[in-house]
Amino acid sequence: MSVTRRDIAKIAALAELEVDDAAAAELERQLTRILDYVAQLSEVGDDAAAAVDERAARLRRDVVAPDPLSRSPREIAPAFQDGLFTVPRLGELDRGDAP
Amino acid sequence: MTDFVRAARQAAQRIAAAEAKGTHAFLAWSEAALLEQAERLAAAGAAGPLAGEVVAVKDVIADALFPTTCASKILEGWRSPFEATAVRRLREAGAMVAGKTNCDEFAMGSSTEWSAFGPSRNPADPARVPGGSSGGSAAAVASGAVTMALGSETGGSVRQPAAFCGVAGIKPTYGRVSRYGLVAFGSSLDQIGVLGKDVASAARLLGVISGRDDRDATSLDRIPLGDPAPASRSLEGTVIGVPAEYFPAGLHPGVRAASDRALARLKDLGAELRDVSLPHTKYAVPAYYIVAPAEASSNLARYDGVRYGLRADGGGGLADVRAVYRATRGRGFGPEVRRRILLGTYVLSAGYYDAYYRKAQRVREAIRADFTRVFAQGVHALFTPTTPTPAFRFGERTADPLAMYLSDVYVCTANLAWVPALSLPIGRDQGLPIGGQLIGAMEAESTIIRIALALERAVDATAEVR
Repeated sequence: MSVTRRDIAKIAALAELEVDDAAAAELERQLTRILDYVAQLSEVGDDAAAAVDERAARLRRDVVAPDPLSRSPREIAPAFQDGLFTVPRLGELDRGDAP
Repeated sequence: MTDFVRAARQAAQRIAAAEAKGTHAFLAWSEAALLEQAERLAAAGAAGPLAGEVVAVKDVIADALFPTTCASKILEGWRSPFEATAVRRLREAGAMVAGKTNCDEFAMGSSTEWSAFGPSRNPADPARVPGGSSGGSAAAVASGAVTMALGSETGGSVRQPAAFCGVAGIKPTYGRVSRYGLVAFGSSLDQIGVLGKDVASAARLLGVISGRDDRDATSLDRIPLGDPAPASRSLEGTVIGVPAEYFPAGLHPGVRAASDRALARLKDLGAELRDVSLPHTKYAVPAYYIVAPAEASSNLARYDGVRYGLRADGGGGLADVRAVYRATRGRGFGPEVRRRILLGTYVLSAGYYDAYYRKAQRVREAIRADFTRVFAQGVHALFTPTTPTPAFRFGERTADPLAMYLSDVYVCTANLAWVPALSLPIGRDQGLPIGGQLIGAMEAESTIIRIALALERAVDATAEVR
């Protein structure tokens, strides 16, 4: 399985991650090598698996509890105003790279 | 001076001495913070099972007293507004937190070389890595700075550094210890683990931090494990499986010699050794490197520069929130984290999900079935080497991610299968520690700890094995 520069650009956009050209070239080689290695999983038949564990997650009662935070979002956030996290506006979505 | 204050002062001296040697086990610690905790404990008349103990905490576990950075630039200086349940419990048991230990960034790595703040060094040989990702915790214990530490495992990150540094490390059953306050990496794999100067120290710490927590929906509805039973001189009636897949023809000769000697001691103690097979073992690393990055790519989406941590906004010059996301994540994450986020995004993307992620989950079920079958046949525990080689040198594996991943070949199986496993020192090869691994059935921590305590007494872990 060969990962192309275009693949890197696509997944970098999906992951909202800035990747420069030098890093993209190295990632092409490394991800190709890793995916070639994991391809051996196709040797395993689907009948090899046992039944899935049936233990269900235990649900807790839906009750309002005190907020355990010792500091408020205002003290933590990079930018906070009028009770809201503030960010630059969302630009025009590019049809080519938006999920 | 109270006993707590004395313990805090002595611990501060030990940490300062170990760090002065260049171990770099800690990202944050201070005598003042230790003394503050000691005075609080003394005032409360604390008398819990860990009264006066000093415990180091891996920097992926939240604590309000020290920064929680995950050894990443994206959380540099970040202070959590809450403490992890495991940290709260060890404090309630009378222990003090020594500080936060170094690790690979977001626990992704096997050497601490991916820490954004520089690697830790192996106290047994400073030219070699301490292992990872909990390498700082292992080095803190091995250097004598502390006797106990918290680490975390997603694919062997407690046991592998424990083996490399010559200390004990336990990865409990998935759900045994609350993950509340453990920064999420691979949520179906992550588990807080413990390290100790010996098996009993690690087991005592596990005994305190284990048990049900309503803040983690995956935590098992069980009471804490408590203190381990005293070491037994006999393992009569105990059946120990020896899986062929963990002893390949090319196994490092020092690792093989140490393992053979440990197996002989187990037999001397009266245990029955039984050859077994776990046929899907070879698929564990490939399955792991699909499941873990997939979950990581989702979990690490939260670091976007909006609510907390680093925001790279070009001095306010970036006009689009998505440009802020990309710049923040691109500059804040180091190379291994970026690689795993992209790998995870790839295997989850349209057209590849079935071929990679769904397939890996099926293989994971097959690996679990291997363990279930062997334990159903009367085997109480499995013995294997913890790692295929002793600690490697700095720089040996950073250029080849796959070579780094393969150092976890014997440890990541237990994470995929959710079963408990531990590593204990079983000898040295040219001065380098070798670890032996005991793997148990689901929730059988007490069984593997009982066997480990007996083996620890019977084997001279400081002796050369060949």
